[in-house]
Amino acid sequence: MSETGGSAQPRPTSSGPGRVLVAVYAIFALSATARALVQIVGRFSEAPVAYLLSLLAGVVYILATIGLAGRKPLHRRLAWAAVGFELAGVLIVGTLTVIDAGDFPDDTVWSFFGRGYGFIPLVLPFVGLWWLRRTRLPEP
Amino acid sequence: MFGALEIVAYVVAAAVAVYGIVTTLRNRPPDRTHRLAVGAFEAVLVIQAVIAAVQVFGGVTLPEQTTFLIYLLVSVCVMPIALQFATAEPTRWGGTVIAVGAIGTGVAVWRLHGLWVAGV
Repeated sequence: MSETGGSAQPRPTSSGPGRVLVAVYAIFALSATARALVQIVGRFSEAPVAYLLSLLAGVVYILATIGLAGRKPLHRRLAWAAVGFELAGVLIVGTLTVIDAGDFPDDTVWSFFGRGYGFIPLVLPFVGLWWLRRTRLPEP
Repeated sequence: MFGALEIVAYVVAAAVAVYGIVTTLRNRPPDRTHRLAVGAFEAVLVIQAVIAAVQVFGGVTLPEQTTFLIYLLVSVCVMPIALQFATAEPTRWGGTVIAVGAIGTGVAVWRLHGLWVAGV
C-alpha cells in the first residue's frame, strides 16, 4: 500500500487473517441458508416466523460474506451493515429465546445466542466489527 | 454406510484441521502437503457420498431425505472451495482457512449421521 498522500485506502478485509473470517462467514452463510430453505420447503406451516427468521439470518450471513470478501468501498459499507445487523439479530433473538417471551422460535441460528452452533454466532459479529474497524486505515 | 468410513472421515478432518493450524503457527503458506491432505479427505467424502446416494436412491427411505441429500452435497463441495480460497493468497492464513473448511465439513458429516440414524 502506498504511503504517499491522498491514497489512504483501507486495507482489504479479505487479506491475511481476514481470509479466515471470510471462510467462517461463508460456512455460516451456507449452513444457515441451506437449513432455512429445507425448513421453508419442507414444513413452513409448522413455525413460519422461525423459518423466515432462519432465512433472514442466512441472507445476512451471505451479505456479510460478500461485503468482507470484496475490496470496493461499497463492500465495506455492506459488511458494516450486515455484521451490525447480525449482532443486533443474535442479541435480540438470543435474549427473547432465553427469557422465553411468547412463542419465540427455538429453531434458528441465533436462538439461545447460537448455542446450537457452539456460540460462534454470538462471537462472530464482534470479531467482524473489530476486523472492519482495524482494517479501516492502511497498514502503518 | 455410516460405520468405519465415518470414523475415517472424522479422523482425516481432524488431521487436516490440526495440520492447517500448525502451518499457520509456523508461518508457512499452504503447499503440496495441504493439497494432498485435502485430496485424501475429499476422496473419503466422495466415497461416502456415493455409497449414501446409492442407498438413498436404491430404496432406503429417510424421514428428511431432502435435507440429507443437501448435506451430502455440501459435504463434498466445501473442501475444494476452501482449498482454492486458501491458496489464492499464499500467506500463513491459508492453513487456517483449510482448517475452518475441514471443521465445517466434519460438522456436516455429523449432521448426516444424525439424519441417517433417524431413518434406519
